[in-house]
Amino acid sequence: MSLELVCPAGTPAALRAAVEAGAHAVYCGFRDETNARNFPGLNFSPDEMVEGVRFAHAHGAKVLVAINTFARAGAMDAWKAALTNAEKAHADAVILADLAVLDHAATHHPNLRLHLSVQAAAATPEAIAFYADTFGVKRIVMPRVLSVEEIAKLNAAINVETEAFVFGGLCPMTEGRCSLSSYATGKSPNLTGVCSPPEHVAYSEDKDGTATRLAGFTIDRFGAGEPAGYPTLCKGRFAAGGKTSYLFEDPVSLNAASLIAALAKAGVTALKIEGRQRGKGYVAEVVRTFRAAVEAIDAGGTEVEVGRLLAGLVEGGRQTSGAYKKTWR
Amino acid sequence: MADHFRGELPKALRILAAPAGLLPLGPALTLAVRRFARRKPAVFERLGTYGQCSFLIEPSDLDISFLMVPDGTRAEVKCLRRRATQPADVTVRGPLLVLLGLIDGTFDGDALFFNRAISVSGRTDALVALRNAIEDAELTPADFVGVTGTLGRLVDRSVFGGLGLARRFAGSPVAGEPS
Amino acid sequence: MTKTGLSLGPVLFNWSADRLRDFYARIADEADVDRVHLGEVVCGKRQPFTDRLWPELIDRLTAAGKEVVLSTLALPYNPRERASVRDFCEVGLVAEINDLTALPAVAGRPFLVGPFVNVYNEGAARFLAGRGATGICLPVELPAASVTVIAAALPEVEFEQFAFGRLPLALSGRCYHARLAGLHKDGCQFVCDRDPDGLAVDTLDGQRFLAINGIQTLSHGFEAFCPTPDDLGKLGVRRLRLSPHTCDMVTVGRLYRALLDGKADRAETLAGLRALDLPGELVDGFSRGEPGSARVEMA
Repeated sequence: MSLELVCPAGTPAALRAAVEAGAHAVYCGFRDETNARNFPGLNFSPDEMVEGVRFAHAHGAKVLVAINTFARAGAMDAWKAALTNAEKAHADAVILADLAVLDHAATHHPNLRLHLSVQAAAATPEAIAFYADTFGVKRIVMPRVLSVEEIAKLNAAINVETEAFVFGGLCPMTEGRCSLSSYATGKSPNLTGVCSPPEHVAYSEDKDGTATRLAGFTIDRFGAGEPAGYPTLCKGRFAAGGKTSYLFEDPVSLNAASLIAALAKAGVTALKIEGRQRGKGYVAEVVRTFRAAVEAIDAGGTEVEVGRLLAGLVEGGRQTSGAYKKTWR
Repeated sequence: MADHFRGELPKALRILAAPAGLLPLGPALTLAVRRFARRKPAVFERLGTYGQCSFLIEPSDLDISFLMVPDGTRAEVKCLRRRATQPADVTVRGPLLVLLGLIDGTFDGDALFFNRAISVSGRTDALVALRNAIEDAELTPADFVGVTGTLGRLVDRSVFGGLGLARRFAGSPVAGEPS
Repeated sequence: MTKTGLSLGPVLFNWSADRLRDFYARIADEADVDRVHLGEVVCGKRQPFTDRLWPELIDRLTAAGKEVVLSTLALPYNPRERASVRDFCEVGLVAEINDLTALPAVAGRPFLVGPFVNVYNEGAARFLAGRGATGICLPVELPAASVTVIAAALPEVEFEQFAFGRLPLALSGRCYHARLAGLHKDGCQFVCDRDPDGLAVDTLDGQRFLAINGIQTLSHGFEAFCPTPDDLGKLGVRRLRLSPHTCDMVTVGRLYRALLDGKADRAETLAGLRALDLPGELVDGFSRGEPGSARVEMA
């Protein structure tokens, strides 16, 4: 049973790069608040989506359209339009999180394949069965809090496909249930599709180095010449209980490449690479490497040690296997 | 190290200025960007209202800066002698070869945020928009010059080739290597 | 006009059984709240210590004329926790669901929806009402404009807003108290019991920012949403929630009851809250369409 590689496409150019690098499927969003990577200048217009799907299909790849934010009260038109445009573009599936959007899709777009976003935070058989039975969801993207053993148990208890993140930025908080960003800036993934939005980011340099701030809150400090990351709230350094540390999460990226075989054995259908705001060169290299790894496993061979190859591309240059090994908790 | 820079850059700059003949650099670049906007309007649609922001590009190894407003067919590029501080919505400072790397794809725009080879200040959202627009545009130096076909390929090869060589001499960081 | 309801939310922190017993005894005897939530919402590991308390507390509170609601876990994920969610929902009292894991367990009976369930629009609210939800406490970050639209669309549902206490902002599979102590969630030694109001988290520059409580991250600031009856009428909200802290919650209840009854104004209420010497600054940004950390403006 071959693992499907699901790869990020932040822009049409990145979609082409991912497909050409060997993605089985790409996921992307429209250029508005209907998707959870609503950054300036990112994502697809409806015409670009049509073109992107055409390109992907011509190369034997699928396109999954993320419409995974929570629709704004009294303003559901953008989400309804996104569903319509995804269907018009012949997308292979839409990735949803909001009950209202799921309900609308199941009722008005019965031919659209529905996937459940990690933003829905469905991690139990009961919750997953609810989404499957009520809306006909065919696949769920699993929250990154489950260990490989727990994923195996989950797959045994449910009737839908599962998709697991294997590479990229980690959210230490449960996705879709975090308001840290709106506490600081007024904007959050659930409200507007962004976390730690760039319009509130400031880098200020002084003789000691660089301080990164979000809406005036100091998130981290770097010495002169040190690499300074983007001030995503939960990746900062804070003082608590008399200690200063990366309290919520070290500035590492997830790399579960060495666990691919274990995830396959645990019944996972698809592997997801995070990174719609990463460059196309980066994405292409990551996709190529994971494609090679997946094929090696299919061929029944030994696991490919890809970690070393990808070390230079990740934020802060450090990696973790995340919650897949229970030591993360 | 600076000698090597000077050895390569003037040639690249001459190429950039070529189609305008004897025009000075600012107007030449202004024409180039506007020409580019006519050929690839989608890039500027992607930039949206951020196209009206001002971007100050300060190559740390030159004594000129570029103040750019990438407003499509109304774009403007000014060359300035770098003395006094110049107000702008976004300021990007770094070695020229690194800055050009954003164009030739050597750098993933993540060099901006993760490797700090470039220092940025000002409106981060405008910078993110520009970075994403450039990312999708798959720019080449020929785009700036406004030439296509055989001449375009020659320009790309010489500038990209030149840049690659210059980087090796200059010891610039290369994408994919930990820095 | 019907009185605005005043609820005491579930205790989010790791309070000992003794502390809880004393706390609820006083609430039963003296507090001006008409509804009290019992149950562990944050961490299933705490449940064995408190589960046996609930029956006697239910009796005590009910006898005092309070409506008792059983709140369930926001992030259940192992079999024991999932079973506990089911058990609480099947006890026979009204249950509050904080995760959709509980939906099958409340099938066919009226239930409440807590602020950890994502109800951001009238469609989601309508869906849950269609399944039997009679009351919904909306997510803390939801702006007033959205609250108004949702409440107007479903007048038969009682909408509730989080009004007092540190704002619950995030949950995680990782335990931050354990991590800070160099421990793992499985061997946490329940160190979160050292911080009955949560542990303050400051920035490198000493700015007060957040607080941690086991797997939960809260605001450092204390929400102090003090709407007049008119404000609430316009919003369409018919109930406020006060989240328990170590300060005198009977006084907090009294202050809010007076505000909701039109017997005190916002300035007096805020003065009363300030006099409690809370461990965090008063904030109300979310209710004003601002970042949640925006301080309460001096009345």
